Amino acid sequence: MTGTALQPARQRVRDTLAHREPDRVPIDLGSTSVTGIHVSVVMGLREYYGLEKQLVKVYDPYQMLGAVEEDLARAMKVDVWGIPRRRSHFGFVNENWKPWRVNGLEVLVAGGFEVDTEPDGSIVIYPQGDRTAAPSGRMPAGGWFFDSIVRQNHFDPDHLDPADNLEEYKPVSEEDLEWNLGWLAVGEMTGRGIIAAFGGTGFGDIATVPAPGLKDPRGIRDISEWYVSLRSRKSHIHAIFERQCELALENLKKIHNAVGDRIDAVYLCGTDFGTQNSAFCSVATFRQLWLPYYSAICKWIHANTRWKCFKHSCGSVERFFESMIEAGFDIINPVQCSAAGMEPEKLKKTYGSRLVFWGGGVDTQKTLAFGTPEQVREEVLRRCEVFAPGGGFVFNPVHNIQAMTPVANVVAMLNAVHEFNGVPNA
Amino acid sequence: MPEFEKLHQAVLDGDQKAARSLTEAMLAEGVAPLDMITKAMVPAMDEVGRRFECEEYFVPELLLSARAMKASMELLRPLLTASGAQPAGRVVIGTVKGDLHDIGKNLVASMLEGGGFEVVDLGADVAPEKFIEAVKQSGAQIVALSALLTVTMPSMRTTIDALNQAGIRNQVKVMVGGAPVTSQFATEIGADGYSENASAAVQLARKLMAGSQA
Repeated sequence: MTGTALQPARQRVRDTLAHREPDRVPIDLGSTSVTGIHVSVVMGLREYYGLEKQLVKVYDPYQMLGAVEEDLARAMKVDVWGIPRRRSHFGFVNENWKPWRVNGLEVLVAGGFEVDTEPDGSIVIYPQGDRTAAPSGRMPAGGWFFDSIVRQNHFDPDHLDPADNLEEYKPVSEEDLEWNLGWLAVGEMTGRGIIAAFGGTGFGDIATVPAPGLKDPRGIRDISEWYVSLRSRKSHIHAIFERQCELALENLKKIHNAVGDRIDAVYLCGTDFGTQNSAFCSVATFRQLWLPYYSAICKWIHANTRWKCFKHSCGSVERFFESMIEAGFDIINPVQCSAAGMEPEKLKKTYGSRLVFWGGGVDTQKTLAFGTPEQVREEVLRRCEVFAPGGGFVFNPVHNIQAMTPVANVVAMLNAVHEFNGVPNA
Repeated sequence: MPEFEKLHQAVLDGDQKAARSLTEAMLAEGVAPLDMITKAMVPAMDEVGRRFECEEYFVPELLLSARAMKASMELLRPLLTASGAQPAGRVVIGTVKGDLHDIGKNLVASMLEGGGFEVVDLGADVAPEKFIEAVKQSGAQIVALSALLTVTMPSMRTTIDALNQAGIRNQVKVMVGGAPVTSQFATEIGADGYSENASAAVQLARKLMAGSQA
């Protein structure tokens, strides 16, 4: 500790990450690419809270997440600040903002956001804003999200080169470091807990396997081919992860030299291991393929920093928790309580002293999207009662708030947390 | 019957090369294509489904077995068509309009094919009129709809409504699935069945076929 008193929000976050019961449950909405809000809902919330009319920036065009600016963060009484990613999922830098209209909504996108509308009404987006490259993402006509277009070049299964699947992993640049430092200074002024996603530590995240940020990706980029390779080409996957891990550790050293312990948590990996009712792989496969690399990353972080390690994985993943704890993860997100074996009471009782639950606040697939405000309130209060005691809980719904979610339900969700916290509503 | 057992094992192991070469060898020996399907392929994929259900197999193993099965089926399908053999049923499958996710849908399609069904796979982001057209052209008895997003779940209802309006709803059974989809939602939108995974989808399709023939 520095001896300097922290702002209440940041103290609240640090307390809960240390499994000390904070003065109230900290709230995160918008700090990362897995705890955010669809831009259409951000616009609705700005209107609801009577904030200045302005176009909302989309830092994450893949999921079309809207930026939660300081005025909205204050209105919602959130406690976490996230350093935005410098490069988007599609490889362009988040700068030089320009307006873009989609489904009747006008939003702000980065200057490198280059799209075309296809004859069927779908919108394709170009990697690194380069229209000479093949498009790497598609939003269906009338849709609200982009998905990767798989560009699988021919590969020889008998002569695979791990370097082909590593093109997107590069040494951290001076520009990246300056970006992080600049935004870190902004974050510190908010007085909130700070989380950062520096990139490069997501091992086999299926959202990044197709490499939508590269102009002409090589290696295994087809999603099914990647999944098959987890079973049939394990040595090749190890070779990819091993080199990626080495590079990530080199980058983390440089990043830590620059930002020090001024952040509270680091988002490391979004690889999903769970489905709604089962898992993508066995625990044995997890331990064989992922555990060594997760352990190396988390071990370095714990030995050299005060950062807490954040792991995202959707679905039914309770079976992996012991291994994730062994790897050194401190935080699990999004805590999909509706998935098989993810009952809140069981999770809190079994893992509550060892894992921070960053999520699980309300179901985004059903209650928040389709329920009534009263149903939302009831579920939020129940979840807070289970997860809050003793700390180790950052309130966030289960994953990003999706497009078309009623704003009234999001407000009901926030008001319910404030009610639980004994804080007057806006 | 060692050849049938070997083919059965090749599919279980997800060994694409072995499945193909065994199929070629058995055809050369004069084994009837339908026998290879009923005595090796369907039991093997049923076993794959069982192992998936009890979590001995996961998505990678399912995909590998499906590939092995397809490698064999590529050789057998033209012969079956030529011989006039009837499939267990005909299914038109697709991810509904507005949704580009197809991994789950592809798994269901593969398992159905491995279960002896003829599958007309329309891909992802499929408009209702394309389902209607495919049902009319193929004479399918089942329409299988997939959605991964909460925002595209309403497209399932729209598709079923379109089948109604086209006057062909009574000709087909509609089954639905996908991460946010539930049995309750399936009932609400007027579907005939819901399955929570690819293996259960085969059992459901067989049940729907039995019901439609009753």
